[in-house]
Amino acid sequence: MAAVCAASRLLGRKIVSSKALPAVCQASNRKLHFSIYGKKGDAKVSDGISTQYPVVDHEFDAVVVGAGGAGLRAAFGLSEAGFNTACVTKLFPTRSHTVAAQGGINAALGNMEEDDWRWHFYDTVKGSDWLGDQDAIHYMTEQAPAAVVELENFGMPFSRTEEGRIYQRAFGGQSLKFGKGGQAHRCCCVADRTGHSLLHTLYGRSLRYDTSYFVEYFALDLLMEDGECKGVIALCMEDGSIHRFRAKNTVIATGGYGRTYFSCTSAHTSTGDGNAMVTRAGLPCQDLEFVQFHPTGIYGAGCLITEGCRGEGGILINSEGERFMERYAPNAKDLASRDVVSRSMTIEIREGRGVGPDKDHVYLQLHHLPPQQLAARLPGISETAMIFAGVDVTKEPIPVLPTVHYNMGGIPTNYKGQVITHENGEDMVVPGLYACGEAGCASVHGANRLGANSLLDLVVFGRACALTIADTNTPGEKLSPLKPNAGEASVANLDKIRFANGSTRTSEIRLNMQKTMQNHAAVFRTGDVLKEGCEKMDSVYKSLDDIKTFDRGIVWNTDLVETLELQNLMLNAVQTIVAAEARKESRGAHAREDFKDRVDEYDYSKPLQGQEKKPFEQHWRKHTMSYVDPKTGKVTLEYRPVIDNSLNAEECAAIPPAIRSY
Amino acid sequence: MSLLRVYCTTVFVKKGLFLESTYTACQRTAGYASGGVAKDKAPLKKAKTPQGRFDTDEIESKSKDVSERFLDDVNPETKEKGGPRGPEPTRYGDWERKGRCIDF
Repeated sequence: MAAVCAASRLLGRKIVSSKALPAVCQASNRKLHFSIYGKKGDAKVSDGISTQYPVVDHEFDAVVVGAGGAGLRAAFGLSEAGFNTACVTKLFPTRSHTVAAQGGINAALGNMEEDDWRWHFYDTVKGSDWLGDQDAIHYMTEQAPAAVVELENFGMPFSRTEEGRIYQRAFGGQSLKFGKGGQAHRCCCVADRTGHSLLHTLYGRSLRYDTSYFVEYFALDLLMEDGECKGVIALCMEDGSIHRFRAKNTVIATGGYGRTYFSCTSAHTSTGDGNAMVTRAGLPCQDLEFVQFHPTGIYGAGCLITEGCRGEGGILINSEGERFMERYAPNAKDLASRDVVSRSMTIEIREGRGVGPDKDHVYLQLHHLPPQQLAARLPGISETAMIFAGVDVTKEPIPVLPTVHYNMGGIPTNYKGQVITHENGEDMVVPGLYACGEAGCASVHGANRLGANSLLDLVVFGRACALTIADTNTPGEKLSPLKPNAGEASVANLDKIRFANGSTRTSEIRLNMQKTMQNHAAVFRTGDVLKEGCEKMDSVYKSLDDIKTFDRGIVWNTDLVETLELQNLMLNAVQTIVAAEARKESRGAHAREDFKDRVDEYDYSKPLQGQEKKPFEQHWRKHTMSYVDPKTGKVTLEYRPVIDNSLNAEECAAIPPAIRSY
Repeated sequence: MSLLRVYCTTVFVKKGLFLESTYTACQRTAGYASGGVAKDKAPLKKAKTPQGRFDTDEIESKSKDVSERFLDDVNPETKEKGGPRGPEPTRYGDWERKGRCIDF
């Protein structure tokens, strides 16, 4: 019996040991290729910055700030190449503003007719009004077919032709044979929601690789040392802890800054955080004065009403009930081009004939058209008007005003995605820093963006950043040392705002900034209006010192985050208006009443022979590089020449400048 | 015989946890199947809130859905499969959907 018991005890122990157990417990032993909760590696806590704000230090090979289309593509491109990557984002990836892009992606696949990417190159260069860097445009348009096919292989369900190839439609100023062959069909789409599908495809794909996602972490600043970027410092909104992400490579993909204006189509989260981080690091931002407007955006909501409304007979009226377009464009009237309509609307508002309690918008009238015709030609417009404007489109007019849609400017990069500065006449790469997407300015859109080119910009340059990093680095490289108190200034700023006790609220200062920008730096730009705007913006910037916040906590403090976002917006706004005031010409989206023509080095409307080339200081075919002193809000401007040669002159000839006419 | 029992009990001690969880799970599903406890509880679907300005009857809005699917999701004029619903979005030069301009 004793022997039996002993034997059973032995047997029992053997059975209890984990390796012999059945499948129940195996999951805890098996090594997974992703990590639970998305965080892995050792994070060390230190009080190197302050004892009040303990800092958690993480080390990675690469950090991507922003998880929209460009950020996700860069993040999983890097993970695919084997780099230990962190993706720091203030929103859940599928909530980024890319999800709202319902238009399509342009690519010269040649499914509907014979097509060549060089013709797409020509269209984009012309659309940018010759302010785009032709090497970056060459890179983007040449990679476009491969990028779209890659997305399709990732599972993005593009719409198909009968034969099963991707269906392409005509959109976005695309032509064949360098503008001489008629309309090109290059725009690929996914039913009604291309951006939504793109974002979900990229997010799903990124989960295959072991990218560590830090969701709802607000990136405060870059960690710069000796002109090199060594990582990012961020605030975890969930528990209020400060995190430093040390990495040899940082990619910024934070999107645009539409929220500097009163009326914009962007989400409330489009606050230009990346541009502001770069500005505070002492680096320049490029071409911020180029902002794309649309004439008829619904007042308050920011959704755009299609031009088809005016095409079907809708008219714009002012407070006197007058069809004012007849005065500005006697022949085309309401069907004049978008910039003419936007400027006319703004002039009416400035002259006091706006409608509403603040007299700051005009009406779009559709109720004079027969309701059945409206419902047949524009299905869904009554629903849109009711939901966003609260009006019955068959009885009342829709309140509209010019609305910001896209920011062509951003962080200057070369065609590989590396951030550059311009010193002594040459482009110098900032080591360790990259930018892509709407936050970056490569510059492919130049002075004006063509439709359906921005989704292409996201995927091509997101991938380019990942490829450049993979080419020049190896995974697991040792990081250079960082000062233990790096990021101190950001935390000091955070603390100051958290306990701010001035007299104006964040929302009031923000509204002041938005109204000032909408009145002075919108579509209608002349010298006096812009100068007045610059002075007003200066005083609004100074009013930031007198800000009052209410929430003193650190856990999910939205008052604090909104104020940080306001600081970022303010930096973008001052650069935009000062750069617009300085640029004394009209080019693309930047149109001035007092300088109506483009000022290039030659006058391209006349034959070049016998013309003398204007020196660099006297013409305007150059990029604006703006710097701000964050303490005073003073903006300094420098200029950088446009890159006029493509990557390979034999494969693709550069397009010499000409007058842009459609 | 006793050895076997000892062997069985030791195995059951570790497997017991696993079995316990499946046993309770069975109990839970068994409850629904027999329809004893579940029927007395309140229905899971929330009651409808009072009708507001923007509320339409569900059936009405479904039939008036502006962008109805094409047959087999194939557009009859352009033969595009899986494309945007409703009229061609680029017909006015910008990308239009439900009266809103999405891209231009």
